[in-house]
Amino acid sequence: MSYVLLEARAVSKRYGGVDALKNIDLVQYRGETLGMIGPNGSGKTTFVNVITGHTRPNGGVISFDGVPLAGRNPFQIAKAGLTRTYQAVRVFGELTVRENVETALVDARDPAGPETVDEIADWLRIAHRYGVRAGGLTLMEQRQLELLMRLVQQPKLMMLDEPVGGLSSSEVRTMIGLLSELKSRCTIFVIEHTMKVIRELADKVVVLMAGEKLAEGPPADILADQRVIDRYLGTADA
Amino acid sequence: MMKTFKTEVSRRNQLAGLLPLAGFVTAAFALPFVLSGNRYLAFVAGVTLIHVLWACGMNLLYGYTGLMPLMFAGIAGISAYSVVGLTAAGWSFWLALPLGALAASVTGTILGLPSLRLKGFYFTLCSLVIQTVITLGFVYFSGLTNGDTGISQIPLPSAWHGKPLSGLSYDLVLSAASVFGVAVLIAIVRSTLGRRLIAIREDDELAAMLGINVTGYKMIAFFIGSLFAGIGGALYAPYIGFISPRSFDVLVSLNIWLMVAFGGRGTIWGPVIGAALLAPLSFLLQEYYTVKDVLYGALIIAVIVLMPAGIAGGFGRAPRVPTPEIDMRAQRRSPK
Repeated sequence: MSYVLLEARAVSKRYGGVDALKNIDLVQYRGETLGMIGPNGSGKTTFVNVITGHTRPNGGVISFDGVPLAGRNPFQIAKAGLTRTYQAVRVFGELTVRENVETALVDARDPAGPETVDEIADWLRIAHRYGVRAGGLTLMEQRQLELLMRLVQQPKLMMLDEPVGGLSSSEVRTMIGLLSELKSRCTIFVIEHTMKVIRELADKVVVLMAGEKLAEGPPADILADQRVIDRYLGTADA
Repeated sequence: MMKTFKTEVSRRNQLAGLLPLAGFVTAAFALPFVLSGNRYLAFVAGVTLIHVLWACGMNLLYGYTGLMPLMFAGIAGISAYSVVGLTAAGWSFWLALPLGALAASVTGTILGLPSLRLKGFYFTLCSLVIQTVITLGFVYFSGLTNGDTGISQIPLPSAWHGKPLSGLSYDLVLSAASVFGVAVLIAIVRSTLGRRLIAIREDDELAAMLGINVTGYKMIAFFIGSLFAGIGGALYAPYIGFISPRSFDVLVSLNIWLMVAFGGRGTIWGPVIGAALLAPLSFLLQEYYTVKDVLYGALIIAVIVLMPAGIAGGFGRAPRVPTPEIDMRAQRRSPK
């Protein structure tokens, strides 16, 4: 657990006069599940956008697996083994599940073989949907497909932006089960509003508040932290 | 429903997939023979075959990559003028053709370079500007292009036995060119390049997220599509015998685009059918030139309203169901 996978130093992003991110320092070790929480507009998604190259930061240094990411395009960062999902589910809706997976394999860092693809699809319980147009899947199935498309690339780090958003409570339970098993397949960075997800998955939690890091530590400590309760959670039993 | 990722495509199915191609090859090569008795109809068929090649190039860009390049005819024009110039300077047509086509697609790609970072409507607007600049260039550099007057009496290419390539043999060259265009398009669509281009068309941001070099592959597609335009342009000039800036203006680009949209973008055979139906139409309606544009307009409207996916897309195609938008708002816990 001593190997640094993702390191951000003094990362800043300004939109006009608004500081979306202010000097964020963050370290994630390989195999460590990092949870990021914070109210709407606190900069969580902006942080993921900056790390994955979708948005250029105004300042700071980011390195992934020992390599600085400055000036790299999103596709290069993806090819380095850093993948992400989106807050609003995103699949190629006009293509079938199989075609979606084939597309994910084309330029993967380390494309999985057909048996591995089947093994992952079985585990995600999506294998029976290979021939279906992705746009016709349920939201839960689209989320499962998203994970499948990322996993067949065998990434080193997966950044999940609200993976249970929009799911029913039973689907949330299923997804938490999948995500806790996912930890053995790759390192996870997860943004969530559902504290249940954070409590069950995260080894370390970072709290963002108006673009600044408010607190960092193990989930039990963070969820009991008076500042976090006052400014974000509202109640101690969140 | 198949429960495994790899599907075993049987040999029989693979061959069945190539059956339409075999049909097209037969039709394309039989047509000049069938029509050899009537020079006018054979000529219409020849022009149509050039348009099939152009439609394939446009389909690669518009149908599969999601770019609508309105400078398509301009690129064909650059090739046509280059080839006419080179042959006038004593070059063999068969050497000038690949060189002219290559020069045109390189020029087109360089001109298009700034616009390839754009997408959708903005790319189209930018390509319209480039097309206008190319047309103005054809008029302006009158030393090379003879300006608005155009170049007439373009000599026919020489055939292998030294005589000029004319009539049936030229038609057969055009058949070969259209077959080449369709076959290359099929090969691209079935390859990983095709996968990448379709991914870029569907969602370029997601494609990049999956490791696909979006700008790079757009450039490759653009280069190949321009090559189709260039080959068509080089074959067009001596076949018609006359070129002018009007032969390669934005209306021609739009016409080729219409063939793709009308036939069914993003399908192999739709645009071929579109070209086969629309290219002869302008010849056949020549006597009714007063209503020709009205008919064209009515056709465009009918296709857009009745068959947005084109003929090959069919009437029966289900409407696009957008993936559910779920940008969930945070569930802030209210104090109890």
